[in-house]
Amino acid sequence: MNGWNGKILEIDLATQTYKTYPLDMEMAYLFIGGRGLGARLLWDLVGPEVDPLAPENVLIFTNGPLTATGYQTSNRFSVTTKSPLTGTVLDANSGGFWGMQFKKTGYDVLIVRGKAQNPVWIEIKDSVVAFHDASDLWGMRVFALTEKLGQNNNKRNVLCIGPAGENLSRIAAIMNDRERAMARGGPGAVMGSKNLKAIVVEGSGRPEIDDKERFKFLLYETRKLLAASPLTSQALPEFGTVVLMNIMNNIGALATRNHQQTQFEGAEAISGEELTEKYLVKNAACWACPIGCTRISKTEKVEGEGPEFETTWAFGAQCGVDDLPAIIEVNSICNDLGLDTISAGSTIACAMELSEKGYLDSDLRFGRADLLARCVEDMAYRRDLGADMADGSLRMATKFGHPELSMSAKGMEFPAYDPRGMQGQGLLYATSNRGGCHMRGNMVGLEVLGLPKLIDRFQVQGKSSFVILNQNSNAAIDSLVVCKFTNMGVADEYFARVLSAVTGIQYATSEMIKVGERVWNLERLYNIREGFTRKDDTLPARLLTEAPVDGPSKGWVVQLEPMLKEYYRSRGWDENGVPKKQKLEELGLTNLM
Amino acid sequence: MEIMPIIKLYANLRKLAGTKEVSIPGASLEAVLSELVKRSPALERILLENGHIRPHVIITKNGHPTTDMNAPVIEEDEIAIFPPITGG
Repeated sequence: MNGWNGKILEIDLATQTYKTYPLDMEMAYLFIGGRGLGARLLWDLVGPEVDPLAPENVLIFTNGPLTATGYQTSNRFSVTTKSPLTGTVLDANSGGFWGMQFKKTGYDVLIVRGKAQNPVWIEIKDSVVAFHDASDLWGMRVFALTEKLGQNNNKRNVLCIGPAGENLSRIAAIMNDRERAMARGGPGAVMGSKNLKAIVVEGSGRPEIDDKERFKFLLYETRKLLAASPLTSQALPEFGTVVLMNIMNNIGALATRNHQQTQFEGAEAISGEELTEKYLVKNAACWACPIGCTRISKTEKVEGEGPEFETTWAFGAQCGVDDLPAIIEVNSICNDLGLDTISAGSTIACAMELSEKGYLDSDLRFGRADLLARCVEDMAYRRDLGADMADGSLRMATKFGHPELSMSAKGMEFPAYDPRGMQGQGLLYATSNRGGCHMRGNMVGLEVLGLPKLIDRFQVQGKSSFVILNQNSNAAIDSLVVCKFTNMGVADEYFARVLSAVTGIQYATSEMIKVGERVWNLERLYNIREGFTRKDDTLPARLLTEAPVDGPSKGWVVQLEPMLKEYYRSRGWDENGVPKKQKLEELGLTNLM
Repeated sequence: MEIMPIIKLYANLRKLAGTKEVSIPGASLEAVLSELVKRSPALERILLENGHIRPHVIITKNGHPTTDMNAPVIEEDEIAIFPPITGG
């Protein structure tokens, strides 16, 4: 067995028992690991009759064949579950150290079933699994808990939930290694619903590599490529992801004040340049990552990781806030509470608009930086308006009679890119299998940054093929699992070569991308089985009918309908967005029909 | 009269040029860029390669990304230049 460990660990919290069994290698070949393998296992384990917060839902933690091999950025891992926020298939992935450490315990997959009667935490030391009472840990915040359970980056790693997950916030994250987050879609609530506070891993193994010499050479080549790319050797280490703030604002695609505008007059004050100049302490990196995009920033009140671009935008432009120290601080509070910063910020922005328009009686107003910390605390503990905000913007806005003010797709809040200035991004959001998300094939590279080439961001015809290419490629990368930033310096072809060297199975680039297409179609089938239809592949009316009145995107709305038709056709789906039999046969998915 | 569009610089270009914003004479993007590099030679290694724009350098004219260096510019134009950047 090379690359994969070939073993699944399955834990039943209700009985506090566990078993191990072999990984189905045919399944592993078809879905690789991470997101793909997680989706395939979820298909068998959780059907449409299961409520996401019921004991019958599962948490599936997966690494991939490259994890812990030492290949650049081979630290990432996934959690797959049915989302309590969207009701769709969900995977969220994270970096740091936990994924590498879990792989070293000798497993590829950890499936957590059932619900513990009382709070527990789990300790996995190689093949030994121990259940511990977590009654005295319940209520603890993430930073203190992580330290208490013995976080030690290269030896022992802690994954846990904070108060947000315990209180079943549908935008709660699972945190690992203190400040890394599996944030989107509410996996923290699923963990909380199981009375599971933490999973600690310590491993001593290492994955076997089939062709060590070839692997060594590919490591060397990848190192050279990452060092030669100005993106991975300069842009990301020097300014982090927040460097996107000014460009997105410049082109009029920075969603502002709950997407009421597409440019923010305070963008410069919350930019990557400002963060680097005034608040950056140093860079940090995940395990085996030579890029080091993580910022350690410091204000008078906090010092810690982040904030990333999306976080800075969500609490910044989206809330009309230009106070960077306040954003750094609320980011740190969210990490400590275990909250998804994108959904939290965008839900506050939605509440601000509801309040300003008189639909909600609260003191929230755009620009009120002083209220951000209180809002996220209230969300995590379900206090006052926080009880509604804890379930995301769509449920909250629906309660107050204006669901159209939730800037989300399938119930998941959008990231920073306003799709009225990026047509392809609009199609991406509408078709994303986990809801409004940029990590499913971000179009910012093609439509704005010229990566790998610049295409017309307002063009509609032909856009679907680019979106599909990105979606399939991202699904493959999420299944390896490596960091998408590696792909800025290293072409897909390299990943296929590394996968072949590690596993001994020859994957052509086209076959690896086909895995991505297979994963995408499987996720689509899952959502269809859950009752999602063509009508769910849409965007809020604001993005479809309200054009910006000024700025470079003036006059544009998302031309979704023609792009969607073209997209379905190009995907080999029928006019209702259902994969055709021929497509499923081509992808080896007919057994799921 | 000399055309003097406003050039905005971002990320590490600011440190290298010692400014965030500058007015540079030129009737086309190519002319403006050429003059900019002449005034701030430290920018050359980031922006140019054999006299041509390096791959992934982003230039926007009035908020619209462009790769057409022959595009004419007028006094009122705002040109923004970003080194290769990414994120998400």
